[in-house]
Amino acid sequence: MNDIVGIDLGTTNSLIGVMDSGFPILIADQNGSRLTPSVVYFPESGEPVVGAAADRMRALSPERTVYSIKRLIGRRPGESEKDDFPFVVKSQAGRMLVEIGTSFFKPEEISSLILKKLRADAESSLGHPVLRAVITVPAYFNDAQRQATMRAGELAGFTVERIVNEPTAAALAYGLDRLGGRARIAVYDLGGGTFDISILELNDGVFRVLSTNGNTRLGGDDIDRELMRLFKDRITARHPELRAELENKFFAARLREIAHAAKIRLSTEDLVQVEIPFLSGDRGFSYNLARQELEAIARPIIRRTRSHCLRSLDDAKLDPLKLDEIILVGGVTRMPIVRQFVAEVFQRLPNIPQNPDEAVAVGATIQSGILSGQIQNVVLLDVTPLSLGIETFGGLMNVLIPRNSTIPCKAGEMFTNAVANQTAMQIVVLQGERELAKDNWELGRFELEFQPVAKGLARVGVQFEIDANGILHVLARDVQTGHEKIVDLHSAVDVADEAVEKMIAESLDHAFEDMGERLWTETVLKSNELLPAVRSALTLVGEQIEPEERRKIESLVLQVEAALKSHDQRRLKQANTELDEGTQQLATLLIDRAMAEAAKRRR
Amino acid sequence: MIDYFALLDLERRPFIADESLKNAYLRKSEMVRAQTNELEALSSVNIAFRTLSNPATRTQHLLNLEFGDARASRLAPDIGAIFGTVAEAVQMADRELGSLSAQSSALLRALAYQKIDGVRNKLAEVESELSKRESALLLELRQLDEIWHVDPTQCRDRLAQIALRLTFVQKWWSEVHERQIRFEELA
Repeated sequence: MNDIVGIDLGTTNSLIGVMDSGFPILIADQNGSRLTPSVVYFPESGEPVVGAAADRMRALSPERTVYSIKRLIGRRPGESEKDDFPFVVKSQAGRMLVEIGTSFFKPEEISSLILKKLRADAESSLGHPVLRAVITVPAYFNDAQRQATMRAGELAGFTVERIVNEPTAAALAYGLDRLGGRARIAVYDLGGGTFDISILELNDGVFRVLSTNGNTRLGGDDIDRELMRLFKDRITARHPELRAELENKFFAARLREIAHAAKIRLSTEDLVQVEIPFLSGDRGFSYNLARQELEAIARPIIRRTRSHCLRSLDDAKLDPLKLDEIILVGGVTRMPIVRQFVAEVFQRLPNIPQNPDEAVAVGATIQSGILSGQIQNVVLLDVTPLSLGIETFGGLMNVLIPRNSTIPCKAGEMFTNAVANQTAMQIVVLQGERELAKDNWELGRFELEFQPVAKGLARVGVQFEIDANGILHVLARDVQTGHEKIVDLHSAVDVADEAVEKMIAESLDHAFEDMGERLWTETVLKSNELLPAVRSALTLVGEQIEPEERRKIESLVLQVEAALKSHDQRRLKQANTELDEGTQQLATLLIDRAMAEAAKRRR
Repeated sequence: MIDYFALLDLERRPFIADESLKNAYLRKSEMVRAQTNELEALSSVNIAFRTLSNPATRTQHLLNLEFGDARASRLAPDIGAIFGTVAEAVQMADRELGSLSAQSSALLRALAYQKIDGVRNKLAEVESELSKRESALLLELRQLDEIWHVDPTQCRDRLAQIALRLTFVQKWWSEVHERQIRFEELA
């Protein structure tokens, strides 16, 4: 059969769907579940296990159970700093690898195992082989991440007909039964590991993306991590002797599960009782977690999505009030605080779909229907999220294709030889919005070949083309010989592997040496800023606080001064933090005062 | 050189209403999809739309078609003056942003508030000035549109200046606005 399936390959969960008599239907596995956790467990012997069964192994076998692999796909070493996975992640020969026992796996290989399971479920449900797929990616994924996702599909035995952006897919799912009309919608997609915001215009069946923005390192997993930290703090406060035990991998895995579950429950309840069993003995830790506590730690994470929303609105040249709908996508958007936040930014109540974790898969399936011809009169016009350019003389980035250009699109540049008989010239290709080349992401580099001629006489035209998948293809053409060549880009890390790894190793060595000294110096600097600031604040607004509080602040100041003499970094850091926290009220008073003065000046 | 106006079946002139341009693009894009659905052809239509959507690039394209590569050769002095104000505001903003992002203490940030408030006001002023200039340039573009058919050559120099100024004003506005967003991020 020539069915094309639609797949949402999510950070936390994956789904697969197919067109059935003109409708997109999501396929369930043997247990009747449409969601397959994006988790792979590698037993000591036997085949890898994918899905809910693997998910249950996370706390039992944390080093052999891989989750959130989407955070690693298409990434280069050095790009993942805060990912603290219980399974081993290594960098080798310019790429990231997951090490399980004595085997190494590339992230796309692990993703392909998830895709294979989805494929098997689909074939079992449909009763025939399934060979073609549409797979979704975050809109803000760069070229390497898209290519790696395609490879994962190919390794799973699929012909990947299209890579589709997740918010666009969600918009399709939303708009399929509103085709006659015109509307401007924003899709706020906050998943386990990535955030995207896209603004689209629907116009008689044409879904046109106006702008897209996002962060591929921001998601629900970050909230889980902060909640884990809160639990650890509470536990050590009551049981300081357990500090070491908390770093144990098994305990951490269990704690992450508990944090994740508590977060989900607090979307509908105001208070949950959390039970955390200890590893040693049969003691446990019981804690009542209130929704406000969760929201206090989630708020700064959610707030980070604001600037992306603002930039997206700017690029679309739209005021939030001109939008007709805001659609929420991703399980995390079930949190009330997210809904409130979105309502605040866009100044309207968001549209809350029944199943925020199914919209993307439904949309991918609709796209598969468009490609196979089963759905007519619907057109998707998507864009490339990042500006594409090359590095120029002086280390600047020269933009060839600006961000939010509708794809497919192309741009050409003509190159010539700078000196006589020059045979090659290196071109560095970049994606990003920064002025300086080095601040952008390097997509790859290639060598342009020249015929040996006098300076300025060589002419090689290079065409940069971004296809409908958002992937770059480069074609070079020597104008004189007419010789055309498809250019293969390689990344800087492939080229200078050993050198780069040596650099990283060396900098790590020195880091440990300097670390102790550097930490102390940093902490002292902080104290030296804080102390005069507190004195200044007390002078400016000191009479507005209670004498009791003033005494407390003064004793905290003395604590810092004593710690400065002690050369105990931990103690000084603690004293700084306590002084910080103790002066928050002062800080608020200062701001009030400054705002009042600003208002006076304006009159 | 491809004539993007012709590609979208549009009249060659300095001003196009947003709705008209959008409809022309959607119509042509649908036609191409129905006929060849070829990447090359689709790309060209997409680039045509992008070029004609932005008044700066549209005007430059118009000039290129009518008069060859007609770029304004010299920058008028008043543009240079604005550049000075923009650069100063942006540099001040970058300095404060630099020290703000190193700051995690509520008290220290509160103390810096007044200074930052001043910087943000300056940014807002500059942004507003740039928006005004952009509006004035777009108005001028509309006026030139009226006499375009009567005497294109007369419009040429003025159009070249407008294209150049719009490019700078747009670029500077983005730089200033970006700093505003970064302050929001850190506040």
